[in-house]
Amino acid sequence: MQHAALALAASTAEVPGNPELPVLPHTGELIVGIIFFVILYAIVAKKVVPRLEKMFAERRAAIEGNVEKAERAQAEAQAALEQYRAQLADARGEANAIREEARQQGAAIVAEMRQQAQAEAERITTNARAQIEAERQQTMVQLRQEVGRLATDLASRIVGESLHDEVRRRGTVDRFLADLEQTPTVTSR
Amino acid sequence: MSLRVLAAAGETFEAPSAETFWQPLIGSGAFAITRPAIVYALSVVLIAAVLLWATKRLAVVPGKRQMTVEAVYGLVRNGLARDIIGSHDFLKFVPLLFSLFTLILVNNLFGIIPPIQYPTMSRIAFPLALTLFVFVVYHFVGIKRKGLGGYFKSMVPAGLPTWIVPLVFLLELLTFFVTRPVTLALRLFGNMFAGHIILVLFILGAEYMLLHGGIALKLVSIPTFLMAFVLTVFELLVEFLQAYVFTMLAATYIAGSLADEH
Amino acid sequence: MDGNLAIVGYGLSAIGPGIGIGLIFAAYINGVARQPEARGMLQSIAILGFALAEALAIFGIALAFVFS
Repeated sequence: MQHAALALAASTAEVPGNPELPVLPHTGELIVGIIFFVILYAIVAKKVVPRLEKMFAERRAAIEGNVEKAERAQAEAQAALEQYRAQLADARGEANAIREEARQQGAAIVAEMRQQAQAEAERITTNARAQIEAERQQTMVQLRQEVGRLATDLASRIVGESLHDEVRRRGTVDRFLADLEQTPTVTSR
Repeated sequence: MSLRVLAAAGETFEAPSAETFWQPLIGSGAFAITRPAIVYALSVVLIAAVLLWATKRLAVVPGKRQMTVEAVYGLVRNGLARDIIGSHDFLKFVPLLFSLFTLILVNNLFGIIPPIQYPTMSRIAFPLALTLFVFVVYHFVGIKRKGLGGYFKSMVPAGLPTWIVPLVFLLELLTFFVTRPVTLALRLFGNMFAGHIILVLFILGAEYMLLHGGIALKLVSIPTFLMAFVLTVFELLVEFLQAYVFTMLAATYIAGSLADEH
Repeated sequence: MDGNLAIVGYGLSAIGPGIGIGLIFAAYINGVARQPEARGMLQSIAILGFALAEALAIFGIALAFVFS
């Protein structure tokens, strides 16, 4: 320590600018310290911090913007879903209505067809009946004439030509036929 | 004891003293350009260059270098300025605190970075210069906020008995005008100064023992070098801590001047 | 062995802050152990207290050099 003290004394003698105590500032260094801190402060305050703060603000805006965008997209999706559901319900209702209508139409068509068929059947039946009746009448007439002629032929062949007298013949035949009709064997054919 | 042994070994060993820190490079006297002054200027140029380069093109999604600057900036802005000064008016002081923090941190780190190895803040002039700014700023914002009379009145807490008020006022005056700036400057200076002296002592001592000592001393020099390494790591921690503490105390003083109640 | 009495004075002045800093960090560790979520707040308070206690030791070293 003595050496150190000697060295201290010697060096302070050599360079008088250095303060003897380390807790006292060296003037030149103090000035340098102040000047360069001012320079650094100016650069930081004018350039660095505004840049960083601007970027922070941008980042915050970007994050908030993203949140907003996401919310908007969600709302849109929700709306689209609602719309789709509504459309689906509409379509379903429409399909039901169409089906109902088709069923009704089908029923109506079936009923109409049935009616037509019945009418047709009735008409055919009536026609057939009428035709049968007519044919029966015709047959009856023909048969009566035929029977009359056959009977007359038969009778004339039996009794001879005396019986060809018109009036008598008609009366006889008619009378004979009426008898024929009244007999139960003829009526129950 | 080691000094005696070393002295007996033939050459004298000079323990590092305050004189170790006096390294004028150009000129002499009160305005000599000294090594710490050049290191300090270099650090300012370096910090300014790095900050300007890293913030030239800032992206919303940060890259690697932007992330580093942002981490330091976020520590000062959110961890110190906003939490201590309050979110209302902290933005005004962010540039001051940020430049203080980066400047002290880089200058402290110069203490263990090999080609430089000179903690600038171990010269009292530099912490004093920085303290001067903090001193001016916290008095200025206090007076601006409360007016000159209100500022001095706010130093004394309300609700004290009348007879004790002058005493407290005197003590507070001492705190505001002497203790705070002096401790602020001395804390940084003392930590760097003592830490650097310890490192120099261990390294020079180990070197001296290795070169000039006997076999026993040569063996002892090995743990001494190891100790120097351990202390270097410890210094790294102290350097970060002191930069943080200086900035935090500056923010605390500013916040105290701005606060409505004492 | 020669030396300086002022350095002994510094050694004495470092005792108080040493104990104080120990107490501060003990309380900080306790606090974090009880409420880990309060770590951030406690940390800045602990470092503030540490800085204030340390100031006394710094006064010691400064005055040791003044009177050496």
